[in-house]
Amino acid sequence: MFDDRLIRVDMTNLSASVEPFPETWKLLGGRALSARILLEECDPQCDPLGPDNVLVMAPGVLSGTAAPTSGRISIGGKSPLTGGIKEANAGGNPGQDLMKLGYRAVVVKGQPADPDQRYALEVRKDGVTVVPADDCKGLWNYALIERLAGRYSATASFISIGPAGEMKLSGASVACTDQDQDRRPARHAARGGLGAVMGSKGLKFVMVDPEKTPVRRPADSKAFFGLCKSYTKEFREGPKANVFKYGTSAVVPVANMLNTFPYKNRTEGQSPDAQTLDGARIVESFESRGGGMHNCMTGCVVQCSNIVHDADGNYKTSALEFETLTLLGSSCGIASWEDVADLDRLCDELGLDTIETGAALAIYMDSGEMEFGDAEGAKRILGEIAEGTELGKAIGNGAVAIGKRQKHARVPVAKGQALPAWDPRPLKATGVTYCTSPMGADHTAGLIVNPGLSPDQFAQASQESQLINAACDSSGFCQFLQPTMPEIAEFYSHFYGEAVPKEAVAEIGWQCLLDEWKFNEGAGFTAADDALPACLTEEGIGPDHSLKFDVPADVVAQAKAERFPEREELWTTKATG
Amino acid sequence: MPTVLIPPPYRGPTGGLEALAVAGTTVRECIEAVDADHPGFAAQVFDAAGTPHKFVKLFVNGDPSPPEAPVGAGDEVEVLAAIAGG
Repeated sequence: MFDDRLIRVDMTNLSASVEPFPETWKLLGGRALSARILLEECDPQCDPLGPDNVLVMAPGVLSGTAAPTSGRISIGGKSPLTGGIKEANAGGNPGQDLMKLGYRAVVVKGQPADPDQRYALEVRKDGVTVVPADDCKGLWNYALIERLAGRYSATASFISIGPAGEMKLSGASVACTDQDQDRRPARHAARGGLGAVMGSKGLKFVMVDPEKTPVRRPADSKAFFGLCKSYTKEFREGPKANVFKYGTSAVVPVANMLNTFPYKNRTEGQSPDAQTLDGARIVESFESRGGGMHNCMTGCVVQCSNIVHDADGNYKTSALEFETLTLLGSSCGIASWEDVADLDRLCDELGLDTIETGAALAIYMDSGEMEFGDAEGAKRILGEIAEGTELGKAIGNGAVAIGKRQKHARVPVAKGQALPAWDPRPLKATGVTYCTSPMGADHTAGLIVNPGLSPDQFAQASQESQLINAACDSSGFCQFLQPTMPEIAEFYSHFYGEAVPKEAVAEIGWQCLLDEWKFNEGAGFTAADDALPACLTEEGIGPDHSLKFDVPADVVAQAKAERFPEREELWTTKATG
Repeated sequence: MPTVLIPPPYRGPTGGLEALAVAGTTVRECIEAVDADHPGFAAQVFDAAGTPHKFVKLFVNGDPSPPEAPVGAGDEVEVLAAIAGG
């Protein structure tokens, strides 16, 4: 009953075609689908910015359905930042719009003969087309979407890159427009430089217009819609519903308390600026300036995204997240959330990962070239990225690149990717994730905020978290909905009208990890890469600077050596990122 | 005795323990009883003035409850830290 299809785009010949989506892949979506396609169709030894890399855009299995908070889209490819497989996902509406039209993935290959030309992919009910887009060359993301909004239907959504992607910088993100009427390019598949891969293919944007196409129709409508209703009701009306109502920025004080609010390039785990960077300050601004909380994609019940206004009441940015406040704020010694909002907007405009860019700026400051806390200097450097200066490019290429330029040793990365806020020294199981995840240092790959775990629990906790998060990132559900695998299985069962056991969902997550590890092995990664740098193993934070990442390599290795036997807790573990 | 459920982020002081049966007749007394054996726990729940941190919510048997709420034998005191990724 599902006429699902796959879009293939050949950027060498500037053509696009549609083919049937394999029935055997119907439970593969998002990250797992991207991993399978990359393993089968992409040479892991290829140049990430060359014609042989494959860029995948894959909505989750439930995207485009009525399931709450289920519209995530994964962007995948070989990362120019890590040299390994990469998946980064985002909210907004393009994932849902593709799926409403029955498109399970967009697979982009090749490269135009002329690297100075820009193109776009138009996806409509009646077909897909590659069209010239030179008039959009060099446009910043917001100006681009403003132009496209005037060109295309009000029902269209967009996937785009900014100048950083066009310049093929390793910190470049892929932007998706959110569900609001303004369709702001504020949702970013940010990590791993996939915007550079899109830029290397000359693809400036993808336009998806579902027109008035309704949500995907489930096989068992009564059961599926009933589940959507009861799940939503439970989420909204449960006693703990309001705990997370102000989004991730409200995490600042508790993260600071737990020594995982890094300060000045992670030389400390706590910041004296936790009060001024606390998301509570943003919430307080809503009353006088406007802005507020909203949902980034249609049908989201979590509504964790903030809209931040400036002192004059004008829109500034969205969403100003905990990670951004940490990496562009605390880690750079920048104390004002308003300065971080400016930097966040600049990153969104240029199409840059705020984590990687913040980490690069902090390393630059730590090397002595600029004072910590110099917010105006940081903004000036982001401007240099747009101008293409040598320093700008080094910052835009991320933490390792600026570390090499400055000959600076304190470069907190895993597999070439900057660490997010969550620090592996108090949170050692999360550190095991950073070591073993095919993604490198990525908290969304398997976050465990539990400083009380004993060493014998680190590997299994990390593996289970990686597994459930991989399953979640394949489903289309947002990690902030915190679904369990049995819950995902129930949605799948009702959508397809056949029993999908929870074990099958776990297998999808595990197979996704196996596919990704296999790709990375082919790319040349070895066990020696499953480690953190000396600045995290030898330099301590917290009381008496005693917290170091000291998990032995043999314990780290257990997280990916083989699958741990299933235990009952696996089925109640929630996706967390 | 009431049981205090410890959220994962707060299990540092308890050495990973997920739940503790303690003597106490209010939520606050229960939290302080945990702290007596596991120093540092109460500071994660209350600020210097003894008020719950803004990012902490307290529940008794699933219902939101203030620190002075009475608890009895068999009740579950749950501490929830508002924490999500980013």
